[in-house]
Amino acid sequence: MIKYIVRRLLGAIPVLFGLSIILFAFIHLLPGDPAATILGQHARPELVDAMRHRLGLDLPLWQQYLNYVGDLLHGDLGRSFVNNRSVVDDFFVRFPGTVELTLAALAFAVGLGIPMGRWAARKPQSFSDGFITVVSLVGVSIPIFVLGLSLQYVFAVQLHILPASGRIDPRLQVPYTTNFLLIDTLLAGRPDAFVDSLRHLVLPAIALGSIPLAIITRITRASVLDVTHEDYVRTARAKGLTEKRVDGRHIMRNAWLPVVTVIGLQVGGLLAGAVITETVFAWNGVGKWVVEAIEAHDYFVIQSSILIFALIFLLVNLVVDIGYAFLNPRIRYS
Amino acid sequence: MATKAATPATVRVPVESRASRGLWRDALVRLRRNRPALVGLACIAIFVFVAFFAPWLAQYDPNKGGLGKTFEPPSAAHWAGLDKLGRDELTRVMYGARISLVVGVVSVTVGLTIGGLVGAIAGGVGGRIDTILMRITDVFLAIPGILLAIGIVAWLGQGLVQIMIAVAVANAPIFARILRGSLLSLREAEFVTAARSVGASRTRLLLRHMLPNALTALIVAATLALATAIIDVAGLGFLGLGPPDPRTAEWGTMLTDSTEALRRAPWLIFAPGIAIVISAIGFNLLGDGLRESLDPRLKR
Amino acid sequence: MTTTTPPPAPAPTAAGAAGGVASVPLLSVRDLVVRFRTQDGTIYAVNGIDFDLAEGETLGIVGESGCGKSVTNLAIMRLLPKPAGRIERGRILLDGQDLVVLSESEIRAIRGRDVAMIFQDPMTSLNPVLTIEEQMVETIRAHRTTSKEEARARAIELLEMVGIPKPETRLKAFPHQFSGGMRQRVMIAMALALDPRLLIADEPTTALDVTIQAQILEILARLATESGTALILITHDLGVVAGMTKRINVMYAGFVVESATTPELFALPSHPYTIGLLHSIPRLDSDGDEDLIPIEGRPPDQRVEPVGCPFAPRCAWRIDDCWSDNPGLAAIDGRAAVVMTGPAATHRIACFNPPTHDEALAGRPLREGFRPAPPPGTLPEDTGFEGLGSEEALEALEPQGAEHSPLLPRDEALLDAGRDRGQYPGDADRDSHR
Repeated sequence: MIKYIVRRLLGAIPVLFGLSIILFAFIHLLPGDPAATILGQHARPELVDAMRHRLGLDLPLWQQYLNYVGDLLHGDLGRSFVNNRSVVDDFFVRFPGTVELTLAALAFAVGLGIPMGRWAARKPQSFSDGFITVVSLVGVSIPIFVLGLSLQYVFAVQLHILPASGRIDPRLQVPYTTNFLLIDTLLAGRPDAFVDSLRHLVLPAIALGSIPLAIITRITRASVLDVTHEDYVRTARAKGLTEKRVDGRHIMRNAWLPVVTVIGLQVGGLLAGAVITETVFAWNGVGKWVVEAIEAHDYFVIQSSILIFALIFLLVNLVVDIGYAFLNPRIRYS
Repeated sequence: MATKAATPATVRVPVESRASRGLWRDALVRLRRNRPALVGLACIAIFVFVAFFAPWLAQYDPNKGGLGKTFEPPSAAHWAGLDKLGRDELTRVMYGARISLVVGVVSVTVGLTIGGLVGAIAGGVGGRIDTILMRITDVFLAIPGILLAIGIVAWLGQGLVQIMIAVAVANAPIFARILRGSLLSLREAEFVTAARSVGASRTRLLLRHMLPNALTALIVAATLALATAIIDVAGLGFLGLGPPDPRTAEWGTMLTDSTEALRRAPWLIFAPGIAIVISAIGFNLLGDGLRESLDPRLKR
Repeated sequence: MTTTTPPPAPAPTAAGAAGGVASVPLLSVRDLVVRFRTQDGTIYAVNGIDFDLAEGETLGIVGESGCGKSVTNLAIMRLLPKPAGRIERGRILLDGQDLVVLSESEIRAIRGRDVAMIFQDPMTSLNPVLTIEEQMVETIRAHRTTSKEEARARAIELLEMVGIPKPETRLKAFPHQFSGGMRQRVMIAMALALDPRLLIADEPTTALDVTIQAQILEILARLATESGTALILITHDLGVVAGMTKRINVMYAGFVVESATTPELFALPSHPYTIGLLHSIPRLDSDGDEDLIPIEGRPPDQRVEPVGCPFAPRCAWRIDDCWSDNPGLAAIDGRAAVVMTGPAATHRIACFNPPTHDEALAGRPLREGFRPAPPPGTLPEDTGFEGLGSEEALEALEPQGAEHSPLLPRDEALLDAGRDRGQYPGDADRDSHR
């Protein structure tokens, strides 16, 4: 098992190496001179030269690359072109918002998708199965921004039961400590603010979670149906076990395996989807930060956020694979 | 006489169950019986028809403003209402289909070509080349979906060609993985072993026996990718990374505009929103149908 | 269904001739009809069968795949795949209690406790994510209120019984850490965990290596005898039942076509299908190729309601009546009193034109000038199959599953075994033949 984890960790190294090259190229092969871009079109040449020197752009490419990797290993992602703030610092201010949103969306997708998939699998070809199939088809076909805008219109503009955008009502004035608002509000002893931030979370989480919800529902349904036809399920029934036990212990324990893999794969989609969701709902997270950076041509921020998202994605997949191995004795003991 | 009677029956060649007319014909027969896939095909047909004949179907000029009040609600003259410049929303959605269709098809085709080549080389040649190509693929796969496209457009600058490249590059590694995967599993298939045992050359084995069979998975993936591509293109447009000319009728860009007027003119979400959903549903349904038709074992 | 004529249901106690066995049978199946409703139409899987099984008796059920032998036994367990499979008619009496009408929780109490089952493929019949211990303990605790420790002790005892070394440590293992033969031993141990009165073994050795098969059968036979458990052994291999069971039912297309004690069946095979089975297996002392006579054609399409004798299209002895009427199962000597169980069980066949003993040995009709009756509606000269049903019906005959060959498994010693009055050849014996 430990061997397996080590092997998986070693396997990530070439990917990280490749990633660093691509992201390095992203900045250094940019059309135009980054220094000139930072300073604007009409900057004086000597200022541009000074900037080039400061950024290390006058060094040979290989040395620039080594510096870049060295900085990365020290946890230094550079400074924003635009406001000269540390990218890492800004990232950690924004990141909790994205984590909150992503986890809420994942909880929505998993919490609803697995029961729906099991329900659909219970009676294949029935009305409920057909209904769930259609819901999951629409789920994968409706873009986040279309769903998000529709939810905003119905629940915020028309019904006024949920807030349309933002993470919390700014008038509530909660002190930020962790930047996880659900935690900060509790730390501040403000249940009203906690509920308010929770209410702000509902619509974005649904919009972001709809695609994973559809995918998890489908895979759960298929997986449960597959396992239901396995010989060992018949064995379990032949032993005189109750249906509840056959379902919970013999079917679900096996049906989980592909579902877990798919849940892991959704994390990448959720992070990418967060970029759009945060834009729709004016949600202050990494995604919105990236979009602002694109508008401002703030390349270090774009580069770094792509790097961090990829790191998170790799890490989550590693965790999922290890979790899978724990659930599946055929891998655990080999 | 006795000997003749002794034979219990004349030897009879077993009739093969509905003589197979080849993989593709059989798949077509199954596809025609697959109702969801036909619904999908109908959605796609509408989408393609509108894209092709937008200038004849639409009653107005997509860029001509001031057709009425700005943000005029839907009426008999303007079924989907007017936008912020008083342009006909329905006309713009029809013209938007052209961009979505062209960008979607081109980007998926390019992605399919690049990814297919990489996958075929990796899965066909194997060894160190396979390892290197798959590592590179892994790097691209590590960057989540549309984020890669966003990065590429941010890097290359705005423009339709750039969007096509971005979506193609985001899709290519997926295609490479799929093709390589099916080639690897086919390598162990009995009919390939059989072909190898009668001395088929490596190239012939790959081109004649393995690729045609591996292509089925790729075709399914490409169909489903068209749905994603249309959504991604609109997503880029929504993020302000659409065509550089803000007047271009593009579904995602139109939705961004409608965000600004969500309270005043909520109907502006509907036309482009429904257009995206219908075309995505079409390709998703067709993709699922193709999967079931091409691989009958999956059918339950 | 007018042509299926169930035999007169004999009184369970009408066993006077048998002498000792005069009690109520353990299992009594009467007029059992099972159908599957699928998208392609109704499948007539079991078409009215009757048989009894006495306490501690062993019965072999033999036939090609799709003949209804497995379906019959799944029906006994009420484990037919839902919602397609349904018991349409009939009774399944276990100790006089009709299992067909039991509620789901009542049948559940019987499964595993009174009737246990061993399946064909030990590789897929054990749950891959649960340890052997978890799977055995849950079986015991589903029916008995014992502590986990007691159940575990019982599991160790059972694994020892089936010859698994170091049972204490092996209990912690997962199925994939066992070989196929060892897994089947685990299945047997699990099936015997609650001392069931009836054990159904559905092709227990088909998926195993030849060398392992004999070991598993030996364990099965020994344990069934020791515990006095009645055994139904389902197989397509006449060689397996020859040594294992006291009685044999031969099934074809959802009908029992011949039923006899094992020695009687091998000494005097009387139904054309049984004869065909015996002649389609190569024998060691064959002096020429005339010995091997394959059964031509394929089993009938079970999506068509059976009319006439199901074997008629493939039968060399068929007469005109065979096309239109189904000969019910009846005593071979024409006597009305039928003994259903025990060593004196009546030899019964379902045939209008039974082959003679000489014909049975030859494997073909020897009567001067006899020709199989042509299908109705064809010219008398036409002895082929061209007139049989539509093309579609013929196409649909394609049997499913791996064991579809009408040439049933090669067991070189089979006919020798038959001469030895049903003695199953030992493993060493078999190997020395190779």
